[in-house]
Amino acid sequence: MEWITSSILRTLWKPTVTAVRTRYHADKTRLVRRYGYEEKIWSGGLLPRSQGRALPLPEYRPVNPWTERRALFGQNDYIDILGPGNIHPVKTLYNVPSWIRGVSGKEYHILLRKQKMWSKTATPVVRPTKWKEIEKRLGYLYRKLNRKTKTGQSPD
Amino acid sequence: MSSLINALKRLHITVAPQVRVFSSVSSTPAGGDAVAVSREHWQFPPQYTKPREVWIENLDTIEEKKLGLMELHPSVYAASPRIDIIHNNVTWQKKYRWVSWAHTKTRAEVRGGGRKPWPQKGQGRARHGSIRSPLWRGGGVAHGPRSGTPHFYMLPFHLRLLGLTSTLSAKLAQDDLHIVKDLHLPTDEPGYLEQLIESRNWGPSVLIVDVDDIVPRNITAATEGLAHVNVMPVYGLNVYSMLKHSGLVLTRAAAAALERRLLRHLHAPTLHQQQAFKLDQV
Repeated sequence: MEWITSSILRTLWKPTVTAVRTRYHADKTRLVRRYGYEEKIWSGGLLPRSQGRALPLPEYRPVNPWTERRALFGQNDYIDILGPGNIHPVKTLYNVPSWIRGVSGKEYHILLRKQKMWSKTATPVVRPTKWKEIEKRLGYLYRKLNRKTKTGQSPD
Repeated sequence: MSSLINALKRLHITVAPQVRVFSSVSSTPAGGDAVAVSREHWQFPPQYTKPREVWIENLDTIEEKKLGLMELHPSVYAASPRIDIIHNNVTWQKKYRWVSWAHTKTRAEVRGGGRKPWPQKGQGRARHGSIRSPLWRGGGVAHGPRSGTPHFYMLPFHLRLLGLTSTLSAKLAQDDLHIVKDLHLPTDEPGYLEQLIESRNWGPSVLIVDVDDIVPRNITAATEGLAHVNVMPVYGLNVYSMLKHSGLVLTRAAAAALERRLLRHLHAPTLHQQQAFKLDQV
């Protein structure tokens, strides 16, 4: 019964519907892309800033070029020419560890020498992880240089 | 026969008119009497060039006294100043002791990373096999520096020899090389030495070279507080230090010892020194 009355009412009376605008184009803000993302890269100017203020520059500390190490740099480098003749300048590089003093070579050769010289010390027992890493790296470099590198090319 | 020729040459040198250019006319020789010119009798006398003459100065007063003239061998103190060779020498001095200790861990050395982070397929994510891959944050470094990278090489013997003669010659030609009689100072005050260096225009920094490694007490005490005035024995002399210090002060004995050592190497067979560097043979 109700259905009939409502259908009759719909056929007889048709209200005019007008769309009510609540959000106008002028009120719209621009689309904010990546909302909530904080930009990590500073783009606020040339100087480093904190809360919009420039940080003070670090105090200028000039290097002292006449410390004992710098003033006497290179002493005894010509001792084989100017000295008594029985000592080589490489022997005077006391601050370089003995396993790398006067050695030239790529990583594999240096590591091989280091392993050879350290094997006689307590290193394999005292630092087992370090020792294992040396052995592992040597194995890797051996395979790389001998099986995966063409002869004559410069190795690592 | 050769000694006769040498004697003739020496005769010729003494007969030939000696042209002496005084660097500073203001100060007169000590005592006002004749200058003591010491003629050197070298084992290898110069053949085509004349010996260089330098004043022997004193250190016991602030004002300069000229105690005599000394002859310097032109092969050592008047060689062609090859700045390319000097540069080679300085580069070698810096590099042959340089070991770079920069180190990075590879993906194998960074702890962990054995487990596959997520299955190969089906997640819609990129395939990865280890969280320590170089692509990952906190992962290993590919082709990074490995600790203990030496830059060692030996500069050929004769280049090092020429480096020394070139630098000494450049120092003499630029009036930066001074000869003193000995290193005896009247006091151990640093101020005295500073005044002396200032008044004689030896340069802000001075390298003093003696033949022995034990020098008089006063000069060690005076140079103790002056970082830019350093004392070195002859065997410690090198190209880098000569260039770092503006003035080079040699004692008379040190200049003669330098000359002897360098002349011997310039004239002796050096096949042994020219051989390739072998670490187990030095």
